[in-house]
Amino acid sequence: MADLSVDLAPGNPRELVLSNPVIAASGCFGYGQEYQGTIDIHRLGAFVSKGITPEPRSGNPMPRITETTGGMLNAIGLQNPGIRKFIRSYPPIWERWPTPAIVNISGETVAEFAEMARLLDDVPGVAGLEVNISCPNINAGGFCFGWDADMSREVTAAVRAATTLPIIVKLSPGALDVAQIALAVEEGGADAVSLINTLVGMKIDTRRRKPVLANGTGGLSGPAIRPVAVRMTWQVARVVGIPVVGLGGIMSLDDGLEFFMAGASAIQVGTGFFAQPGRMVAIADELDAWLDAQGCSSLGEIVGAALPDGLPPRRQRIDPDDLKLMSGDYAEARTTTT
Amino acid sequence: MTATAPDTANLPAGTGREFIAEVTASEPEMGDCTLLTLALPAGVAPRLRPGEFVNVLCRDSASFDPLLRRPYSAFAVNPDPVAGTMTLLIRPFGRGSQWLATRQPGERIDIMGPLGNHFEVAERSERLLMVAGGVGVAPLAHLTQEALRIGKSVTFLMGAATADTLLAAQRLPSEVEYVVATDDGSRGHRGFVTDLVPDYLQWADQVFACGPDPMLRSLSNVIKRDRVGRRPTVHVSVERTMACGVGACLGCVLETRHGMQTSCVTGPVFPVEEIRW
Repeated sequence: MADLSVDLAPGNPRELVLSNPVIAASGCFGYGQEYQGTIDIHRLGAFVSKGITPEPRSGNPMPRITETTGGMLNAIGLQNPGIRKFIRSYPPIWERWPTPAIVNISGETVAEFAEMARLLDDVPGVAGLEVNISCPNINAGGFCFGWDADMSREVTAAVRAATTLPIIVKLSPGALDVAQIALAVEEGGADAVSLINTLVGMKIDTRRRKPVLANGTGGLSGPAIRPVAVRMTWQVARVVGIPVVGLGGIMSLDDGLEFFMAGASAIQVGTGFFAQPGRMVAIADELDAWLDAQGCSSLGEIVGAALPDGLPPRRQRIDPDDLKLMSGDYAEARTTTT
Repeated sequence: MTATAPDTANLPAGTGREFIAEVTASEPEMGDCTLLTLALPAGVAPRLRPGEFVNVLCRDSASFDPLLRRPYSAFAVNPDPVAGTMTLLIRPFGRGSQWLATRQPGERIDIMGPLGNHFEVAERSERLLMVAGGVGVAPLAHLTQEALRIGKSVTFLMGAATADTLLAAQRLPSEVEYVVATDDGSRGHRGFVTDLVPDYLQWADQVFACGPDPMLRSLSNVIKRDRVGRRPTVHVSVERTMACGVGACLGCVLETRHGMQTSCVTGPVFPVEEIRW
């Protein structure tokens, strides 16, 4: 039995300790109960809720999904009940579950992100936040937060200032230099980063001479994007001092191992759940057996194994009093290296 | 027809709703379609209610193509608690359905289910009208099987492109009145199956329909146009592209009076008047 546990917020006194590193990804696992009866949710290290917005959203018109070679495109449009109804509906259920529940938040302005973080700060049943910075910033002409280092740092710092909850910032593969964005959100006060979000794609129905999805474009996920995700995980894990959560097309243990070796401390499984939920929850057990067979006593022994210089030093724990003071100039307050 | 005795005893237990089923028979039907019979693990078949669906992984275990499962409602069910079987009707038009249609007895298939809601026959309904379009015949054939078992009368209307793509009459129990329509008039009424519906609205206590969206929309209009005082309740089963099948991804929603609802959990069966076409 190898040690599979991982703390995704080692710098945060509130911690985000997972019993194993396999997490169900946002948008693919609903609010957790949807998969009850199909799998044993408690075999997961954690799960991330569907993206929540300040106000209710009915989402995009149909069709919203279409299959592609080795993947799928989705344009759901963040259909969700809005943060207030969400808080009344789901965390009270999660509170009784041993599996940590992470809430994915999606805003269109920095203030929206901060407001949602504030509302979630002391909600029982919420173990952490995942900040979706792949959203368009309506105050920047619809340019995605996650494509710009300054905007990414700013939104992270605003969330940091609004909550002491562990914060994972989910990075967009649309950024020119994803490592730079990762460094910026680390500076902004992120406890961890997750990557990658979907890649923007399109499929055209040649008979109708129109895009298949009503929205035109959609997010590409599934095995087709895995090499891109592994590469970006590798680029980010080389430079940041916070845990990295890798995701993108993981369908098996071996796929997951690629991410661990690229420097991920944990992995998320998304589209794989649609196809084979039973196989996805088995990955943690398979990992345990694999580590035993390799003679490893903990997962940490393989994290970053494929990085030329190994993982950079971890950021130290932050003084709780400093947590809520962090803002744009968080960089000065942070303590680095051990 | 190839058939082997269902052997569910050695099928591995599934993870919750995910299980392995073994193909026991495959036979052609409705032109290029296939009726595929699967032996189910103990306890699954008695739970399968008409209108529910299963999400079928349509690829070999070593492949990821096609990636997503394909939803199928059962055409027929043998509800034996131990040697239960389910028969699926498969029209090969995509990669997934082509793979599934060519499975042979002895092969094993990864299935999730039963999923979704089901057709409900009201206790006081005596006369049921089925309106089927193409492979939409499947859940209605299963419903007919169940309805007759509990002593209801069934009239079964079916529409297809041509005579040879209609469900063979002997596939339905002999006590069912079977009336057909074809696009080319090669059998029965020439035109849409929904053209036949007005004649039965007086008779039916409940109407159940499954078929392509234009057919269901047309049915909705036929019902609305009907000026007769007594209107039967109408339930339709919709078909949407799905990913998860359990209400998690919100990829299969349809617009209803109550907002966007999933066809995999709230549906696939909806009261026709609730759907915003």
